[in-house]
Amino acid sequence: MKEKDAYIDYEPQQLIMYVEKEDGTFGPIQTGSYITKNYLDDFWEKMMKLRNSLLEKLKRNEITPIYFYKLIHDFNNVELSRRTGIPVFRVKRHQNVKSFRKIKLSDLYKYAYAFDIPVSNLFQAIVVEDNENKAETDALNQPIIVKQKRTENPFVVITKIESNKK
Amino acid sequence: MAAHCESGSLTALLKHKGLEITEPMIFGLGSGLYFGYLSRTPNLNFPMFILRTKPGKLRKKIAKRTDIKFKIQRFRDQNNAELELDRLIGEGIPVACQVDFYYMDYIPQWERVHANIHFITVIGKEGDEYLLSDSYYPKIARIHKDNLRKARFAGGYLAPKGFMYYIESVPKKIDYEKLIPLSVKNTINNMIGVQPPFIGVRGIRTFAKKLLGWPKLTRDIDHLSHEVMKINVFLEDQGTGGGGFRFLYATFLRQASEILNNIELDDMSKKMMEIGDGWRNISYFAAKIGKNRDLGPEKLEELGQMINERADAEEAFYTELKTVVSNI
Repeated sequence: MKEKDAYIDYEPQQLIMYVEKEDGTFGPIQTGSYITKNYLDDFWEKMMKLRNSLLEKLKRNEITPIYFYKLIHDFNNVELSRRTGIPVFRVKRHQNVKSFRKIKLSDLYKYAYAFDIPVSNLFQAIVVEDNENKAETDALNQPIIVKQKRTENPFVVITKIESNKK
Repeated sequence: MAAHCESGSLTALLKHKGLEITEPMIFGLGSGLYFGYLSRTPNLNFPMFILRTKPGKLRKKIAKRTDIKFKIQRFRDQNNAELELDRLIGEGIPVACQVDFYYMDYIPQWERVHANIHFITVIGKEGDEYLLSDSYYPKIARIHKDNLRKARFAGGYLAPKGFMYYIESVPKKIDYEKLIPLSVKNTINNMIGVQPPFIGVRGIRTFAKKLLGWPKLTRDIDHLSHEVMKINVFLEDQGTGGGGFRFLYATFLRQASEILNNIELDDMSKKMMEIGDGWRNISYFAAKIGKNRDLGPEKLEELGQMINERADAEEAFYTELKTVVSNI
């Protein structure tokens, strides 16, 4: 790759690329990400569509929150089992709507930890109307910011809704 | 910054210890270049391809081939892991830690995925925050201790289990004349030696063939588009130095040719750069058809054909490189 062809002007995501420089030597340059610069909107659109379609299914009680977050985090059953310490057969069971009703609180806690969310989020979806057109874009650029702060109680979280002053 | 997290953190630690060595040289001496197409494994949601050796192997090979002494630690207890890290950075020793990339919250949201194979170099601590150097971030980053703890003890495939290492000692001199041919031969064996059909050049061909079956494995066209566009991410964005590590390896061959004063290796470095350009074309093409949802059988076949051409080019390249390196 020639140096002049390698530069991508995109500050938010920088990377190192090895190129053939003007003087014929090979070495590193710092440049931007081609795919992020050109196709980030497409990525967010796909993520938003996936999240919304799953949310609709969740609202109709066709899937469980475990299945919802499993797909959002791109885990499979084996990976989710390893990350939670819950056996695979129970992970599968917890994705069944009827079985989910009998889930233990201790298991919910393990799932929430693996999904990096508060336990309460397994039972609620926080939707901010002003953010809807940017529902899955970079959180820092959303007009309203939802902050969830953990407390010493592992099952209680404080949710604060603020306007983005940035 | 560095091209790749594992070779980048290793290079940074070695430089800190006083050994002047480049990232491409570390990558090459550790025989990092590879290809594998992984289609059937319970660890993966979707087939994927890998372009470098298994995480950790690079460091192990460097340790075996040189006299660099690493101190490696794993922990069961998270508190002990944190205490030991604090002790080391308190003594001014930078420490490389294996982490789940998802928790590196200084990285833009769109980049962060669950991958337990990321390496960072922790260099200090201020209050509840660690200061660290990440190959994929242009500045010194800060991370809250709770996040680092989660990242170091994330479960799942290749779970880090608190893995960390630092360098105890480096040799006064590295015997490049001996190690370069050895490491190149190892890479040649990985790519065209007797390997399973999903490894090396045969693996590239398997990838080209199996790609045609991807539509059957996806939920819908958006999912297929996402997976096809990830070809670009794997080749260019996930710390490869561009062209699926081929540019990095070309630079290693160039540096090797200068050290050994071997003009044939220099020619091979140019050829490897061209092979990398071909991979970069594949990544552009995959991004374009993915974005346009132009993912019918003809387009996937066209993509497969481009990948097959890379397999042919790499097979010819490693065959020639074998002759070159046997004459050194």
